[in-house]
Amino acid sequence: MHIVCCIKQVPDTAQVKIDPETNTLIRSGVESISNPYDVVATETGVRLVEKHGGKVTIISMGPPQAESALRQCLSLGAADAILLSDRAFAGADTLATSYTLARAISTIAAADPVDLVICGRQAIDGDTGQTGPGIATRLGYSHLPYVSEIVGVDIEQRTITVKRLVEGGTETVQARLPALLTVELELATTRYASLPEMVRSLRQDMRVLGAAKIGAAVERVGIKGSPTWVRDISAPPAKKGGPVFLVSGGSDSGVEDFLRTIEAKEPELLQELLSKGRA
Amino acid sequence: MPKNSKGRDVAQIIPDKCIGCQLCVGQCPVGAIEMQDGVAKIDPEVCIGCGKCLDVCPVAAVLFEKPAKKRLTGVGQKPRPLDEYRGVAVFIEVRDGKGAEVSWELIGKARELAGKLSTQVQGFLLGSGIGDVAREAVYYGCDTVHAIDSPALQTYLSRTYGKNLVRLCEEVRPEILLLGATPLGRDLASVAATTLETGLTADCTGLDIDREQRLLLMTRPTFGGNIMATIYCRSHRPQMSTVRPGVMKTPKRDPERRGDIRITGFQATEGELPRIIDFVARAAEAEDIARSAVLVVAGKGACDARDLPMLRELAETLGGTIACSRPVVQAGLLPYTRQVGQTGKTVAPRMYIGVGVSGAVQHLVGMQASEKIVAINTDRYAPLVQIADYALIGDYREIVPKLIEGLKARAASSTAR
Repeated sequence: MHIVCCIKQVPDTAQVKIDPETNTLIRSGVESISNPYDVVATETGVRLVEKHGGKVTIISMGPPQAESALRQCLSLGAADAILLSDRAFAGADTLATSYTLARAISTIAAADPVDLVICGRQAIDGDTGQTGPGIATRLGYSHLPYVSEIVGVDIEQRTITVKRLVEGGTETVQARLPALLTVELELATTRYASLPEMVRSLRQDMRVLGAAKIGAAVERVGIKGSPTWVRDISAPPAKKGGPVFLVSGGSDSGVEDFLRTIEAKEPELLQELLSKGRA
Repeated sequence: MPKNSKGRDVAQIIPDKCIGCQLCVGQCPVGAIEMQDGVAKIDPEVCIGCGKCLDVCPVAAVLFEKPAKKRLTGVGQKPRPLDEYRGVAVFIEVRDGKGAEVSWELIGKARELAGKLSTQVQGFLLGSGIGDVAREAVYYGCDTVHAIDSPALQTYLSRTYGKNLVRLCEEVRPEILLLGATPLGRDLASVAATTLETGLTADCTGLDIDREQRLLLMTRPTFGGNIMATIYCRSHRPQMSTVRPGVMKTPKRDPERRGDIRITGFQATEGELPRIIDFVARAAEAEDIARSAVLVVAGKGACDARDLPMLRELAETLGGTIACSRPVVQAGLLPYTRQVGQTGKTVAPRMYIGVGVSGAVQHLVGMQASEKIVAINTDRYAPLVQIADYALIGDYREIVPKLIEGLKARAASSTAR
């Protein structure tokens, strides 16, 4: 089977720290990584290919630097990588992004039919979770969001069965291929890349495609194709810490002081919570 | 863009940008471009507005906007003028046969927005056997509820729900559509916005109206919650937004309120739909931490199985439940479903009590909307302590039992009164 996985390069939020003076993010010197959800998507694709044969193609839309995110996912065992990079793509919101990725997948599928597209549930920088469903809608593929487990793929019958998280439980769903999955982190634990794969991932040629190559209309990509606009950006109201109570061995005045303070400051909240509690 | 005397849009050269390379002179099919004082100049009366000079210019010195090509979807449809769209619509999510709390919260907000726009609040309701929910929606503040009631909408599928919500949008033409940022709401909003080719802003924490331009101003935290961005959707309708549960206030339910309930026919979808084979309800252990009014959150500093009963007792004293930060899940102490933070759940309880939680950025973004934050930590300078409304500095094994004792005494005295 031919599986396409969509990758986004994001800042490594594990390295982001807060400036204690200004209460803002220190973003300088922060490395860029592949979005962790997308790494799980790639791992899932590679495992399916190991079981059923075929290949994984990974794609990413971004500036030329996004190449490093693709190479990271190549080392997990993806066969091909395509970077969608064009100045016209800059400033895209999720509508323009899903259009661009859907155009790219259609272009890929014209040469080599695609059975499955796997996207991460969301990216850790934007947290919108809108691009995957957008691509599925545009391609008209079976759309399976929030997948937590792959039950199986039936190549003969051209179906895929997955478990997905829904409100209040887990649903087992079977759908016709081609399908698009958005995946949860818990779906797969990512492997460590083997040395030969790492070497290959660094040496492999990377195809870079622009708007014209994927048949994308210039007015529908990037900032021109984005209906949402940013009006202004502001720092959130600075949250100042409140009173601090020191509790040291033996004396319980700290806890008692705290309780008295909260009782005085939020009597209604405390009463409400205590009334619901089990005393 | 300048026009010539025939009313045709023509290209113009920005002399300050032009480097005199003459590439455009060679490209122009009608010979409208000449060099003057070392820069290109276009004769507007000769120019036919083909835009070839724009394509070839290496320094973007050509001022010209190409006419939009025909759209790939919705071919032949002209976008409607914006003032054909009126009303603030709320998608009402159905859960176990009842309206989801977040939907009522959104109706409350929609009333406020509709007041500023002098328009109506419309409820969009999809499901099976939903007459009661439609009435509830009126009680909470909808002027009109547009409902599609069909057994095919018993369970959520992106395609069936997407198509039917799009249909309601096309028929009713609201200027604004709000959905809860639940798993269902986020998916459905993306599907509908893509089909309608309109703008969608996820996870808004604030919504307001620019009255003059009838624009919805959507504020959302971005870059890990440390920047607030206000986003608007200029020329596409409806303006769509998802809002997290618990951010807006639930309005007062008024069973005397009257509204109009309109039933619309179900639109079947083409092609084969995914088939739901099985459903396993989540065990009680996996109760939703996002809906608990109080969370006692165990962090790396309180990552000890022996202390869990004590933390649970503190939570129960206040009618809450326990949650944790990522290291506690990694240690295998609590399941992933109880993890707060960027890769876990976003919570906004009325009271958050962090025990041994230092407050890494990824954790803070998942809980900073909490109403009151209490930090229990040995480190006076831990990030969570810096933003906490109240901080208790010391050993949690000493603090938590005293807290439980103090709270129980207060609970007893208030019931005695």
